[in-house]
Amino acid sequence: MSEIIVKCSEIHKSFGDLEVLKGVNLTVNKGEVVSILGPSGSGKTTFLRCINFLERADHGSIAVNGYEVPCRTAGKRQILELRRKTAMVFQNYNLFKNKTVLENVMEGLTVVQKVGKREARERSEEMLRRVGLGDRLNYYPVQMSGGQQQRAGIARALVLQPDVILFDEPTSALDPELVGEVLETMKEIAETGITMIVVTHEIGFAHDVASKVVFMDGGVVVEEGTPAEVIDHPQNERTRQFLNKIKE
Amino acid sequence: MRGLDIQYMFECFPEIIRGVPNAIIIAVVALLAGGIIGLLCALVRFFKVPVLRQIVGVYIAIIRGTPLMVQILVTYYGIPRILEYLNYRWGTNMNVNSIPAIYFMFFCFSLYYGSYMTEMFRSCIEAVDPGQLEACYTVGMTTRQGMIRVVLPQAFSTALPNIGNNFIGAIKDASLAFAVAIPEILGRARIVAGRSSKFLEAYIVAAIVYFIICTICQFAVELMEKHSRKYSTR
Repeated sequence: MSEIIVKCSEIHKSFGDLEVLKGVNLTVNKGEVVSILGPSGSGKTTFLRCINFLERADHGSIAVNGYEVPCRTAGKRQILELRRKTAMVFQNYNLFKNKTVLENVMEGLTVVQKVGKREARERSEEMLRRVGLGDRLNYYPVQMSGGQQQRAGIARALVLQPDVILFDEPTSALDPELVGEVLETMKEIAETGITMIVVTHEIGFAHDVASKVVFMDGGVVVEEGTPAEVIDHPQNERTRQFLNKIKE
Repeated sequence: MRGLDIQYMFECFPEIIRGVPNAIIIAVVALLAGGIIGLLCALVRFFKVPVLRQIVGVYIAIIRGTPLMVQILVTYYGIPRILEYLNYRWGTNMNVNSIPAIYFMFFCFSLYYGSYMTEMFRSCIEAVDPGQLEACYTVGMTTRQGMIRVVLPQAFSTALPNIGNNFIGAIKDASLAFAVAIPEILGRARIVAGRSSKFLEAYIVAAIVYFIICTICQFAVELMEKHSRKYSTR
């Protein structure tokens, strides 16, 4: 019934002697919002970065919208092709510092997707208005607050119309009073039906917005299911401990 | 004790100042050609390109391990020998003796400043947050696109004041060109002084000319420093 959009099989990754991922499997259906939870050091960020090859996994394969790439042997062109089906929102925003907000959003359209300048500008302005930055088009990243920068980062990812957007702890670097505006933006775009994989510490967001929650610990997926299953009625002891700590 | 012949200093000022274009041309070539060499070598080092990386290492070690003056003399006497040999070997007929001396200076200064600018560019590229290139990758850019559109412009902006300082250094180093009889500022001062034997006066005038040029350049560098802080604060 539902179409599989991301399929990660048996992902292994070591940094030197440290085995960070010990065979992670994840299947994401079109339109799903998947939240990955877990204590720090559980490998969740590394796993996310393996999906778009910012880290190259040692074993396993990644498939996005039917395009499957073997991790260990993938060549440049395959990686590029795969990356062009995904987009990412970073913990520390990583907006292009030498470009204005509008240029940041247009860049992927004009340079990668070869969309004409005028159309790219219209679509980018539209997207920036959607995330509430319609009045900040010509600002440089340094001139904006963290929350504004992160919303621009979301617009930059969204405008590419990728098959999936990867969120790497998008609110962790923000001042507490700015977290809300970013979560609100994410919630809005989740409702438009775009597929999202979100590594986060925001249990509330995972509970209210995610359609699926994945709990990782020690480099493996310990438990996965609906928010009601994993967050409200965890079956695994480690999940329970983690959730208890967070709720304290 | 003799006093300074101030009037003589004013008289020889115009002649010494005629050496300015030569000094500036040498510095400009050193900066442009050295800048290109430096940027390419910095990229080789940054991406750890095999083989080329070792070659760059040897090149930098040689240039840094020898005085510029020695390099100028070796180039000046060495390149004609090489050309002679090539003429002999391939039966070509390059006129070895008609090469203007300033070309040797261009060659030498480009290599010399290239080696210093390699390290300068490399540290500026490394100073750009690695997240910037990662962000390029996530919107689907290739490494080349990301470097050209995002990383290098930021690195260049950090490098600008440094490039300016190298330019000032090159103008001062160009004074070594007198050793191969190129009439730049110091060279002209020597010629003028040779005629009148008023060496001190002529050299003081040369010092004043250098001071004026370098101060103007220093002012420009400070403007660049202001500009380069544009993106650096978070």
